[in-house]
Amino acid sequence: MPYRVHCMVCAGTGCVSNRSLEVRDALEKEIRKRGLQDEVQVVTTGCNGFCAVGPLMVVQPDGIFYQQLSTKDIPLLVEEHFIKGRAVKKLMYTPPEAPAPIPKMSDIPFFMHQRLIALRNRGLIDPEKIEDYIARDGYQALVKALSQMTPEQIIEEITRAGLRGRGGAGFPTGVKWRKVRQAPGEPKYIICNGDEGDPGAFMDRSIFESDPHSVIEGMLIGARAIGARYGVVYIRNEYPLALERIQIAIQQAREYGLLGENILDSGLDFDISVTRGAGAFVCGEETALIASVEGRLGDPRARPPYPAEYGLWGKPTCINNVETWANVAPIIMHGWQWYSEIGTERSKGTKVFSLVGKVRNTGLVEVPMGITLRQLIYDIGGGIPGDKKFKAVQTGGPSGGCIPAGMMDQPIEYVAPDGKREARDYLDLPIDYESLTDVGSMMGSGGLVVMDEDTCMVDVSRYFLAFTQDESCGACTPCREGTKLMLDILNRIVDGHGTMDDLRALEEIAWVVKQTSLCGLGKTAPNPVLTTLKYFRDEYLAHIEAHKCPAHVCRELNTYRIDPVICVERGHGCGVCRRECPEKAILGEKNQPHRIDPTLCKKCGVCVDVCHFNAVIVE
Amino acid sequence: MISLTINGTRTQVRKGTTILQAAKFLEIPIPTLCYHPWLKPFGACRVCVVQVQRPHGYELLTACNIPCEEGMIVQTDTEPVRQARRVVVELMLARWPNVPVVRKLAAEVGLEKPRFISEMRDEAPDACILCLRCVRICEEVVGACALGYEDRGIKRRVVTPFDQESEACVACGACAHVCPTSHIRFEPEDYRGKPPEFLLGPNTAIYVTTPQAVPKVPRIDRDACIHFKTDGCQKCVEVCEAKAVKHEMTDEELEIEVGQILVATGYDLFDASVMAQYGYGRLDNIYTALDIERMLNATGPTGGQIRLKNGRPPRAVGIIHCVGSRDENYRRYCSRVCCMYALKFAHLIKERCPEAEVYNFYIDMRAFGKGYEEFYSRVLHEGANVIRGKVAEVVQAGWSKQDEGTLLIRCEDTLIGKFREIPVDMVILCNAIEPQRDAERVARLFGLSRSPDGFFLERHPKLDPVATSSDGLFVAGCAQGPKDIPDTVAQASAAAARMLATIAKGVVEIDPVRAEINEEYCSGCRVCNALCPYEAIEYLEDRKVSRVNSALCKGCGTCVAACPAGAITGYGFSDSQLQAELEGLLTVR
Repeated sequence: MPYRVHCMVCAGTGCVSNRSLEVRDALEKEIRKRGLQDEVQVVTTGCNGFCAVGPLMVVQPDGIFYQQLSTKDIPLLVEEHFIKGRAVKKLMYTPPEAPAPIPKMSDIPFFMHQRLIALRNRGLIDPEKIEDYIARDGYQALVKALSQMTPEQIIEEITRAGLRGRGGAGFPTGVKWRKVRQAPGEPKYIICNGDEGDPGAFMDRSIFESDPHSVIEGMLIGARAIGARYGVVYIRNEYPLALERIQIAIQQAREYGLLGENILDSGLDFDISVTRGAGAFVCGEETALIASVEGRLGDPRARPPYPAEYGLWGKPTCINNVETWANVAPIIMHGWQWYSEIGTERSKGTKVFSLVGKVRNTGLVEVPMGITLRQLIYDIGGGIPGDKKFKAVQTGGPSGGCIPAGMMDQPIEYVAPDGKREARDYLDLPIDYESLTDVGSMMGSGGLVVMDEDTCMVDVSRYFLAFTQDESCGACTPCREGTKLMLDILNRIVDGHGTMDDLRALEEIAWVVKQTSLCGLGKTAPNPVLTTLKYFRDEYLAHIEAHKCPAHVCRELNTYRIDPVICVERGHGCGVCRRECPEKAILGEKNQPHRIDPTLCKKCGVCVDVCHFNAVIVE
Repeated sequence: MISLTINGTRTQVRKGTTILQAAKFLEIPIPTLCYHPWLKPFGACRVCVVQVQRPHGYELLTACNIPCEEGMIVQTDTEPVRQARRVVVELMLARWPNVPVVRKLAAEVGLEKPRFISEMRDEAPDACILCLRCVRICEEVVGACALGYEDRGIKRRVVTPFDQESEACVACGACAHVCPTSHIRFEPEDYRGKPPEFLLGPNTAIYVTTPQAVPKVPRIDRDACIHFKTDGCQKCVEVCEAKAVKHEMTDEELEIEVGQILVATGYDLFDASVMAQYGYGRLDNIYTALDIERMLNATGPTGGQIRLKNGRPPRAVGIIHCVGSRDENYRRYCSRVCCMYALKFAHLIKERCPEAEVYNFYIDMRAFGKGYEEFYSRVLHEGANVIRGKVAEVVQAGWSKQDEGTLLIRCEDTLIGKFREIPVDMVILCNAIEPQRDAERVARLFGLSRSPDGFFLERHPKLDPVATSSDGLFVAGCAQGPKDIPDTVAQASAAAARMLATIAKGVVEIDPVRAEINEEYCSGCRVCNALCPYEAIEYLEDRKVSRVNSALCKGCGTCVAACPAGAITGYGFSDSQLQAELEGLLTVR
């Protein structure tokens, strides 16, 4: 008997950690209690991307979007929505500055501007059920590829669609496939790179969690095109849920005869195994990943030979990112023309970004290539919270660069599709592989960290460099020694001991590390430093010459003082700061203005946090 | 062929040639560090970067591992290349300021001292610079994989697994060989404490057994060869132009049918360490005669120079005769050669170290051969000291600085009737000649007899000193008894002549005296088989009887007496025949 209503409860990692599974259990219990179990079906789905407001649930077929649910809300919700047929307004999402809550998911700006290809089934299916995936036209592209297309035709289709590697470098996927197909050596391997190590990025995890079969189908089509016999899914061990779901999906595909020998009577033999990564960032680099799969230390090696010729176990190997594989089936389904209409001239299709940082709507979004940063940050992201000014956006994870907000005196030249040239704000930069590279950053796997005026750019570059320095494998000299020395210099600058010689050395080392490192990690590790040096040089100079941190982030450079007027007039010399100061550096009597002894102050900032009257001023 | 341009010079190279190889061909210098010709290119140090022209500008690539491409334009000395190399070397110099290879590179790129100090700064001149040549050769060439590295980034270290002595290590020393900073040194246990020139044995896995070896071809020591331990290496196969190295060759056992055999299995040397009073193997600078022969050899480890362990020539040398020979406790016989070679040593030491005093300690001077006595007189005239008396012991002289390493020989000088202590710094022991250790086995194999001293017994000491009691079997040389080279040559020539005589004659005469088994009486008990000293009796499995091989039987009669069934008789000497002969004699005509 068909159900009247489907409750799609999000069970992505974000919502699960917000207790969405308890919400689901409560919901099921309540529905049974009300005798609705034959009318209302509860489905656990993968991540919807809007993690900022989880746990969330979508009620289909109307598409009503409920957010920030708790078990207490459930009886009301069942009563109102499922029995009385009235959607519950107070559980709906209200965008900032909007007058009323928006009931429908498709009307919410966060979702409205998105275009879902890789994440086409997110929130719509139970990722642990292959039947759900098949019901959403799953594995149809495989059938088409096996029954109607030759391997050459598949590669041609992918090439003409303009699909490029979503792992960051943007190598044309079709070209890679053809190389592996033509390379001598049997058996051939294909690998799904799910070693998503960028801090704050969770695109691959989300695809595994919400739609694992889309990856398997992509790999199957790839296997047919390339002539591969075995596939490997390399996944971070820090993704337990994703790991579990891809394993379930592979098992189900085997049971359905979609993996194994003679798949769908086509003569294609292909099977997938799962390898868990041990947590090294560098294992996302393809040669290091192969070494890791082979059981060796995850160190990159010099290329050439490329994995397309000499990969896993010395055989031709095609490595693609999770998102790339997830894009394959729709292209085969709908044809290259459909896909190539989306995006810019050189970057086709959509890209999944994880939008984090100082932005209202943090979460995962899939948008067409060519969308501007302004649309991403303001329309989808909802802008910067707390009336702060947008300062910069960091793209491409720790290896990417920082793109500044509009610098009106340095606008970029934008070539419109009709050939007209105009000066534009960086915020109006249409995002694709080339435009990001041109401004010194990169697409990377799709991390977007938004920063507001309270962010110190020197500190940001130090933070990202500390990450890459820690994750450097140590094989080549520039990355091993260079990143460490760069970090030392940045630490000196942040602590106020930097000199102009340091700055020159920093620039020179950064250039050499970028030019001469062995693998992608080293080649991109200086990007945050180089872009901040390019766009925010004044901040470095402020740290070095004036010994000041303009954003008041670098504590060693701050001075703290108490405004005597505010302290007395508003706070009546309450003395909270004096009691809390661990160094006993604050002096003063009750009802008298307090003051900080600069010789004792260790600049810990506790006084700022405890003062209710904002009387402590940081300079 | 691929054509490319390096520094403006056009050249053509084979496909797969790296930029470094092409530059080497054009004699364009490119600095390298982690590169090693035996190893696969690794591209870790990044010192060898060169500038390669690309459509949108240029790219800095490592020359060691990037293969040449058609139309490639390479430049090795542009400003970006110089800057990149300078900074890369500076990064290394900041961490390893005193390592010679790094300093040399720094000098090449015009760098005196680094601008910064690394937190991991290591001032040792033999610090590990993480070129990983050792790890790679152990994996790629040796195949042992005994070395690896741990931790990542700046904390990376080359280690054996878990920092423990690696079980996988085959002690080949390849890692030490390729280490550019001597961070890894190779000290095999056997050689510890001895200077390299005193490594008296072979120390590589391939060597010519002796300088005078016939045929003069090298052999592979399976116990030392890396290939047999790890299945890797095979560098010798790569370098041998004649393609003569074949690891799959094994020892072969050949069966050759012959009519006559000459047993010349030689002798062994008495183990002098048994005589603890002489200190051999316990004290330094005490050698056997064969050690000294090797040292005196021009192809030997010291090039023929007499040297002490510390590398200096000796000031006084004691040569002790009759070590183990003419000794009631060990070997009663005279080894016959020691007196003369001891005098030869005295002569050679006098010749090569004229400053050195030489003392010969003898019981009797046995200079019996042609010209021997004259040689003895000559050595005496050269200033060698001879002391008649058996050496009691050799001891360490003392513990003061100037006495260090000096030995003291204690003996009784029977000619002057006094007890003497003579300080020397080198002692040469003239060990006794002994039968080969496997003489017993050889004797059984050939049915040879041995005299009480253990050497093989000839048929007759005076009338037939080269033959043995078995026909067609001859002995020569020290296998038969201690003798010097002229005697050995004489005996061997005689044996050869005897064998040739038989061959020339074409037929063999055998003694008619032999045993015979009456198969009707033989019960197949096989008592005779084990008793026959000539292994002339064989057992016929099919007929369950024994049979005498009449060509081997010497007619000794042992089996005749032993046969419990009385089935064996001497041929022509049966009881009835003897009885008939007796009867014939006793018949009264």
